[in-house]
Amino acid sequence: MANVSVSLKDLCGLVGKKIPQRELADALMFAKSEVESINGDSVVVEVKDSNRPDLLSTEGIAREIRSRLTSERGVPKYRVRSSGVSLIVDKSVLPVRPCIAAAIVRNVKVTEEFLVQMVQLQEKVCLTFGRKRKEAAIGLYDWGKLKPPMHYTAYRPREKRFIPLEYKVEMDLEEILLEHPKGKEFAQLLQGQKMYPILEDDRRAVASMPPIINSQLTGKVSEKTQEVLVEVTGYSQETVNTALNVMVSALAERGFDVYSVRVKYPNKAVVTPDFTPKKITVNARDVNDFSGLQLGEKEIIELLRKARYDVKQSGGRLQCNYPAYRQDIMHPVDVIEDALVSYGYNKIKPLPVRIATGGKERQETALAEAVREACIGLGLQEVLTYTMTSKQKQAAMVGLDTEKEQFVEIANPVSENYVVFRKQLFPELLDFLAANKHVQYPQNIFEIGKTLRLDGASETGVRECNTLCVALCGKGAEFTAIKSILGAVASAMGWEYGLLETANSALADGRGALVKIAGKEGILGEIKKEVLQNFGLGMPVALLEIEI
Amino acid sequence: METSRIAESLSGIERKTLAVLDTGAWLSPEEIAAKAGIPVDSARRAVQWLREKGLIELDEKKTENLHLSAMGKTSLRNGLPERLFVEALQALGGSASLEQLKKKSSLNSPELNVAMGIAKKNAWVSVRKEGEEIALEFTGLEKDLLEGKYALEAALKKIESKQKIAPEENAALQEAMKRGLAEKAVETGRRARLNASGEKALQAAGKVAERAYDIHAPVPRAFAGKKQPYMQFLNQVKRKLVALGFQEMPERLITQEFYNFDVLFQPQNHPARSWTDTYQLLQPRLGKLPDKKIVAKIKAAHENGGGTGSRGWGYAWSERIASRLMPNAHGTTADARQMVQGVTVPGKYFVVNRCYRPDIPDATHLVEFNQLDGFIVDKEINFRHLLGILAQVAVEFGGAEEVKFTPDYYPFTEPSVQLSAKHPLLGWIELAGAGVFRPEITQALGIKARAIAWGVGIDRLAAFRLGISDIRYLFAKDLNWLREAKSQAVD
Repeated sequence: MANVSVSLKDLCGLVGKKIPQRELADALMFAKSEVESINGDSVVVEVKDSNRPDLLSTEGIAREIRSRLTSERGVPKYRVRSSGVSLIVDKSVLPVRPCIAAAIVRNVKVTEEFLVQMVQLQEKVCLTFGRKRKEAAIGLYDWGKLKPPMHYTAYRPREKRFIPLEYKVEMDLEEILLEHPKGKEFAQLLQGQKMYPILEDDRRAVASMPPIINSQLTGKVSEKTQEVLVEVTGYSQETVNTALNVMVSALAERGFDVYSVRVKYPNKAVVTPDFTPKKITVNARDVNDFSGLQLGEKEIIELLRKARYDVKQSGGRLQCNYPAYRQDIMHPVDVIEDALVSYGYNKIKPLPVRIATGGKERQETALAEAVREACIGLGLQEVLTYTMTSKQKQAAMVGLDTEKEQFVEIANPVSENYVVFRKQLFPELLDFLAANKHVQYPQNIFEIGKTLRLDGASETGVRECNTLCVALCGKGAEFTAIKSILGAVASAMGWEYGLLETANSALADGRGALVKIAGKEGILGEIKKEVLQNFGLGMPVALLEIEI
Repeated sequence: METSRIAESLSGIERKTLAVLDTGAWLSPEEIAAKAGIPVDSARRAVQWLREKGLIELDEKKTENLHLSAMGKTSLRNGLPERLFVEALQALGGSASLEQLKKKSSLNSPELNVAMGIAKKNAWVSVRKEGEEIALEFTGLEKDLLEGKYALEAALKKIESKQKIAPEENAALQEAMKRGLAEKAVETGRRARLNASGEKALQAAGKVAERAYDIHAPVPRAFAGKKQPYMQFLNQVKRKLVALGFQEMPERLITQEFYNFDVLFQPQNHPARSWTDTYQLLQPRLGKLPDKKIVAKIKAAHENGGGTGSRGWGYAWSERIASRLMPNAHGTTADARQMVQGVTVPGKYFVVNRCYRPDIPDATHLVEFNQLDGFIVDKEINFRHLLGILAQVAVEFGGAEEVKFTPDYYPFTEPSVQLSAKHPLLGWIELAGAGVFRPEITQALGIKARAIAWGVGIDRLAAFRLGISDIRYLFAKDLNWLREAKSQAVD
């Protein structure tokens, strides 16, 4: 999912049709998008399909809507002329970052909206489809400042110097990785390399250091720019081609002229951008079988043409060509979905499911429900607390050593309140009681929920136990009272139980017991004064916690 | 209140008190207690209540009451120090040294000094110095005391028995008070007498057998033991799904990434992998993977489609990444685990699973929440059935009257769809995400049928049904709210 900022006026201009605001949501459905927020002309569009970089710009969204709302159909045709420019890939760069694709775009009219869209598209594609620049890093350059042919070569860290973007002084490659903000941010992409990739022109003037930073002198597009060089580097020719196609087709949507570049590898050459449509074959019968609709072949073909496919029929098989800016079509089901989106999900009549199967709840669920009923019968109020909590509550506040206690623990917590999974329920119930000191006593509560403990024998290294905790709070919250509760629950469930003397960090000396019940364990007793104080509780608390 | 109503509400002690006041005489609470055979305290309470009800009149008199102090009582019982002093000398033959007497008597030194002073003042004993010793000897006047004619003692006895003190005994009385043996207290004496209303009430009370209660009087609040409203809602949802023929799947809080991501065809190197922005575990870190054959099929599906008709994601799949542990990030993890373990065809499955995402909690987001996930496996099932089951979910659980379907994206379903329902107040609300499981999942796991799956943000649904606008309240530590919450039924 990604949010894209769009000007509604710009979008309508690119679609070639006015879209009233109330119809915008329906139109965006065709681009797998919805309105996140709208403020006058500026709309934030949420693109839901994270596998469709071509939808991450106004141009791309407009293209997808245009073939549904106007008479335009099929794979968009972009004219590509040869620029005669070569980009020479040196063998030194092959072990570092081996693949590159490039194109030149001429007759560019730079407007504010266009610049916003290009920077947005470049950033979002690098972030999502390009996996934070690793698989695809995109550069845009003022072509007027560069002298062909271009060279893509790897250099030693101190061998090359240039002024990085938004800087005034020259730095060598090592310095850029250590000092420049973008260098520091993306340095790990070049980790372990002895040589760093450089894109430069024939005068050996540096255009950029992919995938880190452009040069201040040439790698900057401004309002004066008339010709733009677009370049993508990465590890797979298919991926960099797709990313280049996404960028360049968006520029072509604005009516700018696209020129190809010849990329010369040591042992082969490729011409980019390559807009040759990609192919997949789908059975017409599968479309109906899968969707539950009864569509004729012609109907299916029309739906696919609206989804920007070119389709040829051959005996029930549909040979589909789809645009070269897409890399998300892996299986015929992906094509079927595009046809259904064209058809309109809300035009499809839902069918009731009439499959007879025997329903069954899990034994744990039935057991928990029976224990719950017993507790309710005893007049206890059920409560619900979080399973994620703090070490403080689970250890220090109940007299355990925070350092020594082992928990199932989060590596990337966002708040100190949610760092570990609870090992015991009762600290959470004490916390609950502490939040209700102003409420009428007695407060007799219970929770049935999961507690988690480390357990090497389990396939997840964690034992997840269903646990019952009862806490009585108020005058008379004593050992006798809570033992009676245990007796009542055990009797209702038909469980045998026994008590053993025990020392527990949270229970008052001589007033706590280890509970052995139905092959499982638990604790029972009166909470120590110090522990009550830790939670700020003035009233006594008696508690029971058992695995069920 | 009418007299008869008052009479009906009289308590037992009130009735007994009225009965002994029947004669019309003035009676004190002590007298009432004696006659009615009830404790004096009860009689006092009854007098107070009856006066408030206007059934009796009271006569109150303040009197000065002279009585013995605690010390006075003890002294009278054990003997005043001066008597003990004289009796000790008598036992020594009427003449002895102070040292001898000290040994003989039980008096301590201060008492001995006081007693000797009084004996000397009353001339019962003569005191003389003989060298180092003090010699004591009866004078003959000691007989007054020994024969019981000591004025102070006589006065104390009169005070004790509440006899009147004669004017000539005033000096003795003054001395008793000065020595703290006697003291005066002001007492309010109270006497009660029946008035006209009381007479009527007494007559009326004679006809009433049991006391009637004021049924409108406030009573202490009691609270029923109740289920937590959200838990109750979840249980009702579960029961309903079971009734619809769904089998419940196990709920896990901690999972291998394998089930959360890999089985569900989310590539290890793709941003889709973190589409949920998930938590990771510090410990434990790695879990076990299932049967090698299954792992190999999932690996192949990712790398090249594994013969499922897909071209796959085209990257090198890592077993180690798949083994990493994490808190469950979505309910679909349970579907993945179930499909790996095996499903029946046809089969219907569901789970209510706790999920975790590192969001900042707000009115619509929780760090910890529940998802209701389900899937149906069947050879004939198609996209229209998926829309059918979603419409049913919206109606059965959301109480929705109008639904809308929107194209959506999940790495594990194709086609994918979002279900929205129209809420009478809040407009369109996203209720569920759904889709047909990709062949890279079902075919790779050897399931020879299609599977339609859906996930419901059950917390939001519960909030709507419980009339809560902030979903954080589902987990609220608010006992008042829990106590006041009305029992809900999912219809």
